[in-house]
Order: sequence, then structure tokens, then C-alpha cells
Amino acid sequence: MKESNFIYLYNGTWDELLKVIFWLLKEKRKPLQILEEIKYENNLLAKPFKPILDQKVLILKKYIPKEILKISYYVFLSSSQEKELIIYYFLLNSLKYHKEVIYMRNLRCVNKALMISKRVSREAHKWKGFLRFKEMQNQFLYAEFNADNNILEILANHFKKRLPKENWVIKDEKRDILCIYDQKKLYFLEGKDIQLDLNYNNKEKNTEELWKSFFKTIAIKERENRKCQQNFMPKKYWQNILEMESEQ
Amino acid sequence: MTLKEKLEILADSAKYDASCSSSGSARKNKNGIGNASVSGICHSFSSDGRCISLLKILMTNCCIFDCKYCVNRRSNQVKRAIFTPEEIASITINFYKRNYIEGLFLSSGIIKSPDYTMEKMIETISLLRKKYHFNGYIHAKAIPGASEYLIQKLGLLVDRLSANIELPTENGLTLLAPDKNASKVTDIMRFVKKKKSKIFTPAGQSTQMIIGATNETDLDIMSKSNNLYQNYQLKRVFYSAYIAVNKDKNLPSIKMPPLKRENRLYQADWLLRYYNFKVEDLLEKENPNFNILLDPKADWALRHLKEFPKEINQASYYDLVKIPGIGPTSAKKIISSRRFFTIHFNDLKKMGISLKRAKYFILCDGKYFANISCFQQSFITKNLILEETETKEERTTQQSLFYEGK
Repeated sequence: MKESNFIYLYNGTWDELLKVIFWLLKEKRKPLQILEEIKYENNLLAKPFKPILDQKVLILKKYIPKEILKISYYVFLSSSQEKELIIYYFLLNSLKYHKEVIYMRNLRCVNKALMISKRVSREAHKWKGFLRFKEMQNQFLYAEFNADNNILEILANHFKKRLPKENWVIKDEKRDILCIYDQKKLYFLEGKDIQLDLNYNNKEKNTEELWKSFFKTIAIKERENRKCQQNFMPKKYWQNILEMESEQ
Repeated sequence: MTLKEKLEILADSAKYDASCSSSGSARKNKNGIGNASVSGICHSFSSDGRCISLLKILMTNCCIFDCKYCVNRRSNQVKRAIFTPEEIASITINFYKRNYIEGLFLSSGIIKSPDYTMEKMIETISLLRKKYHFNGYIHAKAIPGASEYLIQKLGLLVDRLSANIELPTENGLTLLAPDKNASKVTDIMRFVKKKKSKIFTPAGQSTQMIIGATNETDLDIMSKSNNLYQNYQLKRVFYSAYIAVNKDKNLPSIKMPPLKRENRLYQADWLLRYYNFKVEDLLEKENPNFNILLDPKADWALRHLKEFPKEINQASYYDLVKIPGIGPTSAKKIISSRRFFTIHFNDLKKMGISLKRAKYFILCDGKYFANISCFQQSFITKNLILEETETKEERTTQQSLFYEGK
């Protein structure tokens, strides 16, 4: 079977994906597909291939501008089906055009990479605003969210800077992964690995009522515009936004 | 009175202030709680479609002034309340911790004297900054007539300071706010401009004008804004459609706030600040009000149709931003991309540039989007007006008003 019919497999981490891509670039191979191992299904027309990688391939990283790596990382966090190939071609072109690759929107991979990374950063930005913490009985803050893309790490880093002296847990409901922060470090876990005691603090209801009444009061009734409200805060967010729960 | 009742009274009185932006400050967390985000963050949207970013409240709605348009004027019989500094600090921290807000917007009615009011506000904000080590965003109103040393003190504690000019002309102010004095407001602006630094109001200053309470024209309003931007380097002028909360012989009796007019003013304000337009490009003495049917840029373009259509692959940056539907971000994208390839209509789409409005005014590599015989004022005007009434108007228009931004 020809090399161009290979599906290259990686373990699902960003580091390993970069290694596979750099290895492919070094070997001048064009992949049919790059895929997470667990997503691979037997395929008659293509052959799975796991390259033997060593740390050295990461040397290529220094030829790639930081902002290009960041865009690629955001694409990696997306739920796009073909994200690995998009990153491969995006990085391939960035070796050729360097920083200026971001202006080559006429190239499909560039256009896709920029669109997808923007979608991810937009979604993360929305959740930086919409996430709602509740205070639990044993003095930690707890929040759940539902996002299309895997933005838990972006959110965790945001709140680490913002709430460094609190203990908190953020849960991505869709992926069933959590981030726990203990005033020092972030720990990423899978839902099945931990049992949390989710009982609200008795004062929590009061604070929530206070917020809901502020939310109602601050609207000017002569200017009511529900459509505009919904454009900025689409319904899919409501189940996780305290003040909108009753609106559903 | 319960804390909840107080909050209702003091948020209700603060809601008419349009400013809710939390952008422009990069305050870092110093061993405490909170930081600011340069781009600003909206935490919720109220049922009027406005962004909620800050806990917007008055310290008190008691006031010694009797401004005719204000719900808290001395002669009104309304429930009055006062927050203690500790109450404000604890609500702010409790809301912030739960990620309801980016920070605090604190304004106040005037009790006893401007200086006394300012001292109370400073006490509140000091408590937040020093005892609670709160490093989130704070926007405070400076009280006109307060001593400079107090403005100095407050400016060092907050991210943004603002004083409302309220009405575009001195006449309007004398008529409706006999206790206020425009020069006291501009004194504050001058002082803040002089002192502004990384530690003194890092997010700059803003102001607000009420639209439609007096008979000034759009030209009067835009000239005033232009003057404020030029002389005091304001970050923003906010426009607030007048809402009739009081009855007075000097006030117009209107049922609906002039929202469309407010919208046009915001659009024009953007053109002044980011598109290199001048007030006299947009309005003139013979024609001192904006076209309600068309946004100011489209209106201008239709009056200057001989400068169009512009070739996307050649037009300068300043020419590009004059095209309806194309703003600074799109213009920059076009300029950096066209060095590498010739831009066609579908490339613009790929760049995420909407062609809805722009298509009538441009050529891509010599081609017009339709038969070039369509390039006529009547055809374009008809389509643009249709477009504006048909599409989700609120989305495009309100975006620039209340969404986070400069």
C-alpha cells in the first residue's frame, strides 16, 4: 500500500500530535488522515500507521512562530472532525510563509484554521462571562458548563489568575472532565475518577436571589428587546446561567 | 429595609446610565481577588438587550439637586436608600466570586455636599481595594464640584472615572438641570486628562448625553462629542435616549424613547473615532439630523456615489473604511491579504467580510457583483433600506452600542 494511503495515529494529546506532524513534515509524507487512536476503525482502503517518535522532532517547533502555534492549539481544542489535517497543512504552509501565512486566506487550510480557532476563542470568551460558580458547604466554588469545543483548560487558566485564593472546581459536562484548583495548582481529571460532595452552602440561596433581583431591576422596561438579549446570550447557554434558568 | 430591597432601589436608580463597559484596563491580581480583562467581558444580558458587566448601583439615591429629567430629583416622592461601604464591598465580592460580574460601577446622588459624597465613595472603594484586595474593574462617577484632591484620590483607586455632561448645550443644561454647571463637568475632564496614567484611571474617562429631552439637533450633539474627544481625550461618549420618568413643563412628553436616533448617533460616533470621518462630512447646517432610514455611512456614500465603486485590490486604507459594510478590521485584512493574491468576491467571504452592504460599492478585480448597470443611486438606496428593515436589525445595530468594545 502506498504511503499516501496511511492513516497516522496519535494518543490524543497535543504534544503527540505535534510530534506526529513534525515527523511527517521531516519525512516529507502526506497523510491521508491523522487520527486519535481510539477513534480509529478498521478501514480497507487505508492502513493505520504509528510512527516511532523521539523528542528530537520537536526541534521543528522553533521554526514556527508563537502565534501560529497558538492558532493551531486552538484548532486542536475544537470539535472539528478534520482538525488534525487542517493543522498539518497549516503548519506546512507556515514553514514556507512564516508569520504571513495568516494572510493567505485563499488557501483552504489557512482559512479553516483561522475560522476554527476564532470559533474556539469566541466560545471561550463567552464562557468566561457566562460561567456561574456556586459556593458549596465545604468551602469551594463549583461551576458546570456545556461547550462545543474543549475549552476547559482556557477557562481554568483564566480563573486561576482571577480567583487565586479560592478553591474551585469547573466541570465540562459534555466531556465529563473536571479541573480542580486548590489555590496552588490545576488538576485535570475525568468525571469517573472523583466523587464530589455537591451540597450548597446555606447562604448560597440568598446571594443567588440578590443577583436575580439585580438582574431584573437593571433592565429598562421602555427599552425591552428580548430578541437582542437572545442574540447575545443564545438559549443553549441558559441552562447554565443562573438568572436565565427560570426563563426556560 | 432588607439588603435586597436596598439593592433594588439603588440598581433601579442607576440603570439609566448607559456605560457598562469593562474594557481598557489590564489591572493584575496582586495577592487578592480579581483582575481586569483588556477586552472586557459581558457576564449577562438584561431583557433590554444591554450587556451586564458591572454591578451598576448608586451609593445613595438621596440627592440635594433637583434636575428635571432625573428620577431621583429632590422634589420627587420616591423610596430612598443608602448603602454602607461594607454592604457594597460585600455584595461586590460575593457577586465577583461567583463570576456574575467584572466589577463595580458606582455612582451616587449628592448628599450634603459634593465633597462629602465623594469622600463616602472613596471610603467604599478603598475598602474594596485595600481590605478585600479587590483587583477587578471599577468605574466610578466623579461628582461635579468636588475638590481636586478628592478626584485625585478616587482616580488612583479606579479603572475609569466619568462625569456626565448630560446635555449637549449650556442652554439645555440650564433649562433642565439648574443645579448643574457644565464647566464643573469639564473641569473634571480636564483634570482627569492631565493626570491619566497607568495607575490613574487606566481605562480613561467617558461621559453621557441624554438624547431627545431638549431640542438640540444631531449636528449640535455630534459637534459636542467631537469637541469632547478632541479636548479631553475621552474614551467614549455614551448616548442615552430620553425616557420620560418625570412630568415637567420643560420636558417633552414622549411615550417611546428615541432609540433609532440614539442608534444613529452611536454609528456616527464610531465613524468619528475609527473611520476618519469629520462631523461636517456627515451633517450640515441645512441638514442637521441623521437620516432615520439609512445609517450615516451608507447615507454619506450614496451622496458621494461618484467616488464609488472602489476597487478592493487597489483602494487605500482610508478609502476602504469609507465603504459601507467595511470597517477597520476588514480593511486591514484586505490590505495584508492582497499583497499575496488578487481578491475576488468569494475571498472576501472567506475572510469573514460581509458583502451584504459592501457589494453595492465595490469592484473585485474589475468586476461588479451584478450587472454594472445596477450601479445606480435609486437601486442601491432601495436595497439598503430594504436590507436594514428586513434583517435582524437589533443584532447589527445594538452590537456596537452595548457589546464590549473600546
